Amino acid sequence: MGCGMGKSSLQEKKCTRVSIYSVPAIRAALLIQRWYRQYVARLEMRRRCTWNIFQSIEYAGEQDQIKLYSFFGFLMDHFTPASSERNLISHIFRENEICRDTEWERYFCYKDIEVPDSYTGPHLTFPMTFCGVSKLVEAFKQKQQLHARYVLQILGETWRLLRILPNINHVSVCQTKEITICGDLHGQLEDLLLIFYKNGLPSSEKPYIFNGDFVDRGKSSLEILLILFGFLLVYPNDLHLNRGNHEDHIVNLRYGFTKEILGKYRVHGKKILKLLQKIFSWLPLATVINDKVLVVHGGISNSTDLNVVSRVDRHRYVSVLRPPKVVHQTLNGNRNEGDNGPAEGRRRVRSLTNHSSALPQRNSLPRRSLQNSSISHQLSSSVEDELKRRRRLAGFDQTYKNANGSDSDSDPDFAEAPEANGHDWKQIVNLLWSDPMPQNGCISNEVRGGGCYWGPDVTEEVLGRHNLQLLIRSHECKQDGYEFCHNRRVLTIFSASNYYEVGSNRGAYIRMGADLVPHFIQYQASRTCRDLTLRQSVGWTERSALRALREQLFVHKSDLIRAYREFDPHHTGKISMRHWASATETVLKLGLPWRVLRSQLVSRTHYGMVDYQQWIKELSITEPKLEVSDTSILETMYKNHSNLETIFRIIDTDHSGLISLEEFRQTWKLLSSHLKMEISDKAITDLAHSIDFNKDGSIDINEFMEAFRLVDLSAHG
Amino acid sequence: MAPKKVEPKKTEVKKVEAKKEEPPPPPKPAEPEPKPPEVDLKSIVVEFTPDQVEEFKDAFSLFDQTPTGEMKITYAQCGDVMRALGHNPTNNEVLKLLGRPKAEELNIKLLDFDNFLPMLQHVARSKEQGNFEDFVEGLRVFDKEGNGTVMGAELRHVLATLGEKMTEDEVDRLMAGQEDANGHINYTDALRHSRGGV
Repeated sequence: MGCGMGKSSLQEKKCTRVSIYSVPAIRAALLIQRWYRQYVARLEMRRRCTWNIFQSIEYAGEQDQIKLYSFFGFLMDHFTPASSERNLISHIFRENEICRDTEWERYFCYKDIEVPDSYTGPHLTFPMTFCGVSKLVEAFKQKQQLHARYVLQILGETWRLLRILPNINHVSVCQTKEITICGDLHGQLEDLLLIFYKNGLPSSEKPYIFNGDFVDRGKSSLEILLILFGFLLVYPNDLHLNRGNHEDHIVNLRYGFTKEILGKYRVHGKKILKLLQKIFSWLPLATVINDKVLVVHGGISNSTDLNVVSRVDRHRYVSVLRPPKVVHQTLNGNRNEGDNGPAEGRRRVRSLTNHSSALPQRNSLPRRSLQNSSISHQLSSSVEDELKRRRRLAGFDQTYKNANGSDSDSDPDFAEAPEANGHDWKQIVNLLWSDPMPQNGCISNEVRGGGCYWGPDVTEEVLGRHNLQLLIRSHECKQDGYEFCHNRRVLTIFSASNYYEVGSNRGAYIRMGADLVPHFIQYQASRTCRDLTLRQSVGWTERSALRALREQLFVHKSDLIRAYREFDPHHTGKISMRHWASATETVLKLGLPWRVLRSQLVSRTHYGMVDYQQWIKELSITEPKLEVSDTSILETMYKNHSNLETIFRIIDTDHSGLISLEEFRQTWKLLSSHLKMEISDKAITDLAHSIDFNKDGSIDINEFMEAFRLVDLSAHG
Repeated sequence: MAPKKVEPKKTEVKKVEAKKEEPPPPPKPAEPEPKPPEVDLKSIVVEFTPDQVEEFKDAFSLFDQTPTGEMKITYAQCGDVMRALGHNPTNNEVLKLLGRPKAEELNIKLLDFDNFLPMLQHVARSKEQGNFEDFVEGLRVFDKEGNGTVMGAELRHVLATLGEKMTEDEVDRLMAGQEDANGHINYTDALRHSRGGV
């Protein structure tokens, strides 16, 4: 065969091909391969770093929110009904206002709302038809806005339909009818449109399951809801919606949906929000396909029992964040080994756990629920003292009840939360907030602050107990839009592409037929990013992540300097890289690989030392648009931007976007109590006065928040 | 058995993929290990500074997918982590350091940081790192007309069949967006953008 290299026939076939290429060619191939593999590995490291930055900041935000809400819960449980400050927030706990359905129908009536001739958006007729919904989809594609009258109409119809649906939908697929399953959309209409384009619109031949988190973060949450509800009304047996953790008005306060509605519907926004609140509580909790595949937004826990879930009164849980009222003497001393309280940091996102001392004890952690969370270990220490201190900080009046005898203390409106709901509530929280973990066991999810982490053994047990073969869930962003774990028994599906940044990840959806084998279709919404090279997409996402990280560093300036100074007793202004990394982690608690990031955050080092004074100065992120004398308040402001906004929006009960000076002051008091820090009255008054009051002494929340939004001045694209 | 040409400069290059196990490799001038068949990890003195080691730990933890940050990676990841840290071992070198594990073991067996470090040190000492210029030289071999372009199809074929073969996926990623309408890749242009790589 003319093979110069080998004589045996075994080698012949290979040699024939190989002999076409000389040794230099082989050498060249090896060089290229070797270099390329290194290139890819280095990119991969950057990508992982970037991913972790985004996830840490995202989950830290969720945890913050839950802590804030737990704090409110604490206030609600421990102060007299008389206190006016309590009234500021009590309405958010009035979850099940006793109101008959007819009253609601009257309240949400759209009939008096006129659609003016000048309206150029789509007109809807009811009952909803396929044509009607397609028209709606087209209109949203053209970026039109649906009139409030029609919005209320669709929502009203949806509410009526959802009320008769069970907690768990049972669907079947057969030879001729495959089902499509989509994960989180988070207000990204482009992705939904892309899915419809690739896969077709929902119909009785084309059933869909949407697995929660339709809203928040993206700009078109309402449009997505209206489209999904529209199809639900037309094909109630073929369009299935599962509730996600973001289908929750408290979460919406922080993550943008509330703001979106109020911005788009200035007159009727409040009503729309109220109606959505009820609708969210009526969304089904899970879907089961062919009695074999469970589809739920978050996941499961070792106590998940679908029989219990199918019997709960799901609509009682308007916000899944709020546990039902519980008599506190049951709080056992289940204190954590100091590894999770509000003062304690966040744990690193699971897959990159911290090699610190807290972790080896993980297996011995008792199972905890949101109820026994951060509040508990404060209470089990000197309760009286703690209460006194908090009340003083919050400016509440001095009489209070004993923590243990809380029943008569309650707001009359939520006396009806029965004890039994404790268990039901846990079932629901776990379904909506949990995440899988690689190790066996089931522990509470400290990173998010709600639900649990469950392991492969729990998957086997729960699936086995229910005679199921696969769990499909969403809730976590995945690079490729989907990911298996737990021996391919758990499948995560995520449908919001470019979630963190352009090019950060693909979205995906599942097609499943009678064989119950999932097939994946992946996509990325923006046309530009499909053609990005690996390097470009990593680069964009990375730049964005670093910007977000620099913001975090900026808002913690003072704490960082203080921490650095501890390593710099002689005030040289310089510390070693090792100390820099350690101090930064202590302050930010994001669990990030600081040494790896250092080269991208700190431009210059001198002989391995970081000039921290200079570096902090260079982190110029923003100039405040308002003159504020007290810079510490400014920092608190930046650090607690989201918390502050959440509190504002809660206080703004009529959703007018305005709060009074007095309410403004109360907001700060609440915040300072939550953060356990003192903010002087004078400082608050000064702050208030520095704002331009133009409306009878009320403050426009949006304007105020805008003034303090962080803008990266140092960024150059 | 194909006779192996030992190139004095590039020691690993001559390995044509063969079904049989490698015979003990001939002595390599660049590598200081005492025993030819296996690398004696215990005899390697780690010379990295403590700061460097800390940085490696951070990078190592990025690839750690064990439940509670046991600071372990799979054997399959070992080469990538070394590359991520700026070194450039061939797959074969990595397998040797790992003790020639079986294919099924690669994704199962775990390596902790303390055992990884001497391997990294060994690789760091290797003079045959393979740099950017080598890569360009490599491409030039396939530039038949000497005009700064290579045929995309040929490159694909070569990378997937020769040397330490790349998978289809890897080749696709490498080529993404590089080929023009005629299937040519102007590599000088492409390289200008990624000079020095990452």
